[in-house]
Amino acid sequence: MSTKESPVRPKPGVSSLGRLLPFARPYVWQFIAVIALVIVFNTSSVMQPYLVKVAIDNDISTNHPNMHGLVVIAAIYVGVVVIGVAANYMQIMVLQRAGQSVIRSIRLALFRHIERQAMRFFDSRPIGTLVANVSNDTETVSQFFTNFFLSLIRDGLSIVMIVFAMFRLDPRIACYAMILVPIIAGVSAAFRGQLRRRYQRTRTLLSSMIAFLAENLAGMRLTQIFHQEKRQRAAFERLDAQYRDANITEYFTSMWFNRTLELLGNVAVSAVVFIGGNAVLHDAIKFGTLYAFIRYIQQFFQPINAMTQQWNTLQSAVVAADRIGQILQHEPEIQDKAETARVDLDAIQGRVEFEHVTFGYKPDQPVLRDISFTVEPGQFIGVVGATGAGKSSVMGLLTRFYEPQEGIITLDRIPIWDYSQRDLHALIGIVQQDVSLFTGTVRDNIRLFREEIPDEVVREAARVVGADGVIERLIHGFDTQLYGKGSNLSAGERQLISFARIVALNPKVLILDEATASLDSHTEALVQKGLQAVTENRTTLVIAHRLSTIRHADQILVFDKGRLVERGTHAELVAQGGLYAKLDAESGIESRVIS
Amino acid sequence: MSPQSLLRQYLLEHKWGYLLSTLAIIASEFINVQFPNILGRFTDALSAHRLTYHSVAVYALLLLAVGVVYVFFYAIGQSQNGRAARRFEYLLRLRLFEHWELLSAEYFRRRSIGDLLNHAMNDVQQVREALSGGFNILTNAIFLMLATLIMTFATVSWKLTLLSMIPLVFIPFFIVWMGPQVRNSSRKVQEALSSMSELAEESFTSIRLIKATANEDVESARFERRVDQIVGEQISLFRKSATFQSVIPTASSLSFAIALLYGGWMALTKQIPLGSFVAFTFYLGQLAIPLQQIGMVINNFQRASASLIRLQVLLDEKPGISDPSEPVTVDAIHGDIRVDLDSFQYADGTVAALHDVHFHLRPGQTLGIVGRTGSGKTTLVNLLPRIFDPPPDSVFLDGHDIRSLPLKTLRESIAYVPQDGFLFSATVRENIAFGDADASEDAIERVAKAASIYDDIMEFPDGFDTLIGERGVALSGGQRQRTAIARAFLKQAPILVMDDSLSAVDMETEKRILQGLEDVRKSRTTIIIAHRLSAVRHADWILVMDDGTVVEQGTHQDLLNQNGLYATIYAMQEKGEASAS
Repeated sequence: MSTKESPVRPKPGVSSLGRLLPFARPYVWQFIAVIALVIVFNTSSVMQPYLVKVAIDNDISTNHPNMHGLVVIAAIYVGVVVIGVAANYMQIMVLQRAGQSVIRSIRLALFRHIERQAMRFFDSRPIGTLVANVSNDTETVSQFFTNFFLSLIRDGLSIVMIVFAMFRLDPRIACYAMILVPIIAGVSAAFRGQLRRRYQRTRTLLSSMIAFLAENLAGMRLTQIFHQEKRQRAAFERLDAQYRDANITEYFTSMWFNRTLELLGNVAVSAVVFIGGNAVLHDAIKFGTLYAFIRYIQQFFQPINAMTQQWNTLQSAVVAADRIGQILQHEPEIQDKAETARVDLDAIQGRVEFEHVTFGYKPDQPVLRDISFTVEPGQFIGVVGATGAGKSSVMGLLTRFYEPQEGIITLDRIPIWDYSQRDLHALIGIVQQDVSLFTGTVRDNIRLFREEIPDEVVREAARVVGADGVIERLIHGFDTQLYGKGSNLSAGERQLISFARIVALNPKVLILDEATASLDSHTEALVQKGLQAVTENRTTLVIAHRLSTIRHADQILVFDKGRLVERGTHAELVAQGGLYAKLDAESGIESRVIS
Repeated sequence: MSPQSLLRQYLLEHKWGYLLSTLAIIASEFINVQFPNILGRFTDALSAHRLTYHSVAVYALLLLAVGVVYVFFYAIGQSQNGRAARRFEYLLRLRLFEHWELLSAEYFRRRSIGDLLNHAMNDVQQVREALSGGFNILTNAIFLMLATLIMTFATVSWKLTLLSMIPLVFIPFFIVWMGPQVRNSSRKVQEALSSMSELAEESFTSIRLIKATANEDVESARFERRVDQIVGEQISLFRKSATFQSVIPTASSLSFAIALLYGGWMALTKQIPLGSFVAFTFYLGQLAIPLQQIGMVINNFQRASASLIRLQVLLDEKPGISDPSEPVTVDAIHGDIRVDLDSFQYADGTVAALHDVHFHLRPGQTLGIVGRTGSGKTTLVNLLPRIFDPPPDSVFLDGHDIRSLPLKTLRESIAYVPQDGFLFSATVRENIAFGDADASEDAIERVAKAASIYDDIMEFPDGFDTLIGERGVALSGGQRQRTAIARAFLKQAPILVMDDSLSAVDMETEKRILQGLEDVRKSRTTIIIAHRLSAVRHADWILVMDDGTVVEQGTHQDLLNQNGLYATIYAMQEKGEASAS
């Protein structure tokens, strides 16, 4: 895994976010518009105290009170606020629309990129992690494009504009006010660290309490039979109390943080009154100016506090962007050639040939050694061998999920890597032991959500494999919704749907990977007819678990420890008296007991 | 006790604390409103040129004192309420747990664990939030408003106050109206997000099929639709919250404009001094806050009372199985079991789960029960410890109807191995000693050996101290079963019930466990449910169950002679064993 490979990789930096910036480029005008709107909004906020100052100094507290001027100022005031609010509304909508669009593009790109990866990529990564990359990490990054960006612009500009306004009003008092900047930032930063730690501790304790509770609700019967109610109650009480105490600590920290900022604000105002009051006393400034200063000092706290809050957002966004970036940078191991063979899919016969193929999931540990065989169009081939003999790897190679280290695999005498993967996968179909079903209707599961496959084809496919009866018996027939990967169907029903799917998609070559291994004998009889229908008129490779399924094969390939050790028809191989004959003798007993 | 009365009692018990916090908040708000007042008087003194360097310092210090004392008092109130609410949260959750411990399996059959967890977490937290933040804000809002009104009426002008407040009074109504819509929208965003995650998981799980069918584009089109859905829901949420963020400042600023115009006119016509006008602009800011808060508190209380009702319903559930009102006292249980059951039906069932079951087992005897899945075997043995309650006078222990025995006596006399081998996320030792926390090291090792799990445990990283479960070692099905067997062995009970607890162990181990059992069996009445007949063939008595009733019973030999269902299963399994070996 990537984390193991590169322990010396530098810690993710802001540059990892930079790599995602191209996704934002189409929306550059929107982001510029947001900046403009923020400037309008901030100007409106900064102007409000100033307008009151003008009213006080020019209209109210002068020797020539001016009612007309006051009306004008009030009208301007309302106008300024309305413009500010409108700008804010538009800013929110424009920014969020742009931010959501950026995240949408990142999500789609990420999903498509993951889909394009070779199987080896999925072998080494838990599905849950990939899902978290697509959903949670992108969500975290979106915080960067919206909240962080906005805070940087809005709060940063607020601070700049307030400072600017204060210096315009009176540089001397403004200089004093600047002392506040490091104090507020320092207090915020100190508390943030504490808050984060306490918050995490509370979360941890909460989740262990939830885990305990979930387990004990599930095992309540056992507690009751063993008469251990008191003991479990005491254990729960301990967890409950730990959580309570941690939660109270967290609450107190956050409370004192808010109160401290409030206290600082009050101290600052009284300092301004002292300094400014003396300035008014010496006629250095007018009273209105002092009024505006008090307002500005009060406005000063919010943006600084908000910006320190965004620091956390930035940190988690960087980590998330780094994870996304690592996936996007991972080039799919298996890609189409620049020039792929142009083939007429309908004309393909379905001849498969392996020539001296050697393959290992790790190059130094081959699981297939020097394998050669040919399958003529329409033939039915059985592949047998013990677990780990390399049977399934044959399938992985033919579908080009993996690439061999040596040798050539051809379909109709053209190497499979000369086909585009799209063509190759349209020509070769697989049916797996565990059926993949999707949340959706039975119809959509058969046609794999391909709108271009008409309903008649779906119904015909179901009829051919004998699934129609089963499906008609479901509540809504073909429109029945399958939930939770088809858990409302039996194993046999699920397998029948996967057979119908293959018939609907109609590949030239079919691989059945132990398709009936997990079924009991009754269900196997049910799907047997479907199986026959599926294999008709196609080149078929069956990776067999039970020999009974391949007894009548045109050719049987016997694998042992990565080598192709025997080949021939059932009769020939039994006559040879080798590995196959031995397997056949053992399975004879088995099948008699079952039937 | 219902959550309401629990809450009432809690508030009563802590009435002095709550009185203190309420008084502290009231005091803090009446101090807080002095802030604009002092500023106003300062302004007046300044414009009247009555100020000296000394008096400026006095005003500044006054403001400082008000600021510090206010913060201090408010913090007292806030911390008291916050702490008290979290302590109540703790009590309420503990109360829930205790209640659940009393409820029978019948109850848990009908509930999903996720649903119950939801109650214990979200509903309880909702109540706590109302009690903590809600209580603070409510007290704060009421008294800040009251104090501000008093101050403005007394020191500025009541006409100016009322006129300026007109736009503000709409704010709480707006919040009560808009709040649930915003919440609803954000729930939809969450749903859209999880729907996308589900699809991503489904796709990546089925990646082989998707690749093998060249279905990548179809799949990413499906994914794209889910992503678009998120974008749509997000935009709708932002539209609402943007409205939210626009209406409130607009209302505030309208009211400020009125203050500017009307108050300014009053000031310039000298109806009020400039200081009062200045003070009023600050008061107005203080008035807008509680009006917003009242709206939020109403929403908060609505949610909390809904939660309280849900908790009420939960705690009203009566324990289905409890001690009899006049329990029979017995000194020792010997293990004589007699079942005389005509019919048993689950409370939520429509047909009888069991009917016509009659047998008698003497102390020290072994009973084997066989039958298909769903034939009623587990239901039958669950009646014995009253996990499900049998009808009166149908199950007897030492001649007493089990319903007349104290639950403690009854359950202490039965050691039980559940079907699924349920274990807790604790160490191996804690799991084995679940029934007896004081068990000696020797005893634990002895039962581990008897259950054939000792060697496995020795291979674990920390032996008996190995943590099992999600955060520790994952046990195989057979290991779970054997650990559960050891746990039951440790409990020195006169009756041992093994509910299909050998299904995941191989034949060899089964033999060894049954032999280990042989030694203790003599003194214990044993009931073994099994699929493989090898586990029951040596039993003193065997029940063959089908469709909720006993279809055959007798000794192994009797049943073979009957040539019925038992004989058929036996014939099939004998053959299977022969060919497998």
